[in-house]
Amino acid sequence: MIEEQKYWNPVLETLPQEEIKKLQLKKFRRIFEWTYQKSNFHHSLYRKAGIKPDDIRSFDDIRHIPTVEKSMMRDIQRKDPFPYGDTLCVPLDEVSEYHQTSGTTGQPVYQADSWQDWEWWSECWSYILWAQGYRPSDRIFFPFGYNVFVAFWAAHYAAEKIGAEVVPGGVLDTQARILKIQEVQATAMMATPTYVLGMAETARSKMGIDPASLTINKITCAGEPGASIPTTKNRMENAWGAKVYDHAGATEIGAWCYECEEQSGGLHINDGFFLVEIQDIETGETIEEAGRMGKMIITALDRYAQPCIRFDSKDLIMWSSDPCPCGRSFQTIKGGVIGRADDIAKVKGVLLAPSAIEEVVRGIHGLSDEFEVIVDKKADIDQITLRAELIPDARDKEDSIKIQLKDQLRLKTNLGYIIEFHDYGTLPRHEVKAKRFKDLRKTMS
Amino acid sequence: MENEFDLKGIHEKIQLLKKVSEDILEEADDFPSLSRNCSRILASIKMMELNVSDIHGHS
Ligand SMILES: [Zn+2]
Repeated sequence: MIEEQKYWNPVLETLPQEEIKKLQLKKFRRIFEWTYQKSNFHHSLYRKAGIKPDDIRSFDDIRHIPTVEKSMMRDIQRKDPFPYGDTLCVPLDEVSEYHQTSGTTGQPVYQADSWQDWEWWSECWSYILWAQGYRPSDRIFFPFGYNVFVAFWAAHYAAEKIGAEVVPGGVLDTQARILKIQEVQATAMMATPTYVLGMAETARSKMGIDPASLTINKITCAGEPGASIPTTKNRMENAWGAKVYDHAGATEIGAWCYECEEQSGGLHINDGFFLVEIQDIETGETIEEAGRMGKMIITALDRYAQPCIRFDSKDLIMWSSDPCPCGRSFQTIKGGVIGRADDIAKVKGVLLAPSAIEEVVRGIHGLSDEFEVIVDKKADIDQITLRAELIPDARDKEDSIKIQLKDQLRLKTNLGYIIEFHDYGTLPRHEVKAKRFKDLRKTMS
Repeated sequence: MENEFDLKGIHEKIQLLKKVSEDILEEADDFPSLSRNCSRILASIKMMELNVSDIHGHS
């Protein structure tokens, strides 16, 4: 029975790493040659660097290939042919899916997929869903805005592919979504951690429904690091009485890594479909040892219409040294995507990752799920303000919670904070991805 | 690594399926419903190649 089979691909997911490496090299050469021949943008990038497909014989050769950044895609797409610029490897007629990046760091990047690449997207997602225990018997609710952002679109198609039942919860508001979950007895759902917590709060405070009393038994998250931050994961799992799994993906890359049912603290990279490299943020040196954080350079080995070759994702990750008890031979990254290179702020000379603050806040009983961090300057000295909300039951514990917060934040981040408590329900609530970290020094200077 | 699947045999059947689909596609130039459905079948066949044909020499 396929339901009882642990792996989506029992051969690939247990292939010894040395064989996976050979497969990756073979596939890298294939996609590089294809792209070199078909995309004018890539062809001229590689020709300028003096690299031809035949030059690539080893992983060391791969490391000499120029990386591609989002800004380069943005620039090339401003030029003809409309709308993808000179990045396409197939005729425009073969493009069947349009998506775009959010554009929070500038003009959005347009992403084309052929039908084959769209099948590939849902294939990658099928590995994720199967590893997280999704099976044909599941009824999966999708509470996201079906629009130009890729979000959970491919997960929807993958859910169909694995044989599950899909309930699209597109334009419904949060309360209507909760009622629909209750009505159809959905067994699983997918959302950003911010929205998973936001839905739970709405169910409890506005509808008098305990989300744990609903039939959801697993939730897959994306878009923010939350599901790999233990305290945030605990809050979500306790609120919904469900297992919460992380995954990471991006419009320009694909769905490249996932947590499995073992929840061992790491995420598996789909090594059969992606080649992940980690580079030191400052020196660009390749990091091979476990536990050292760097930025990810990634290649989608089977994406053909608008390829992703050595894409500098700015995602911060680190290798894990612990093999996962699930038996998959795919490599793991510890703690998922830790943050983005752009979000790491230097405060009083110390590197600060917003996820470290989230881990502390979400671990303190008596605080709501919402918070904001403001970094600014007073008399030329950096200062950090943490705005949080006490839940109504914890108002009399304000002083002890403040001490607890200050101590744990100093321990975790080596920095001191000004703590402000706001009335419960007054900090902004977010529907998709939250922007909780604001560095005002950038706008002050 | 030894496994219970005859990957080489499955790979050969996938290639057969691909050949038949490509042949139908060639005849379908003026037959939209045949042409488009066949194109989609070929995309699914590619997924089977990624899952089996690409790795049969490695396992
Ligand atoms: Zn695992």
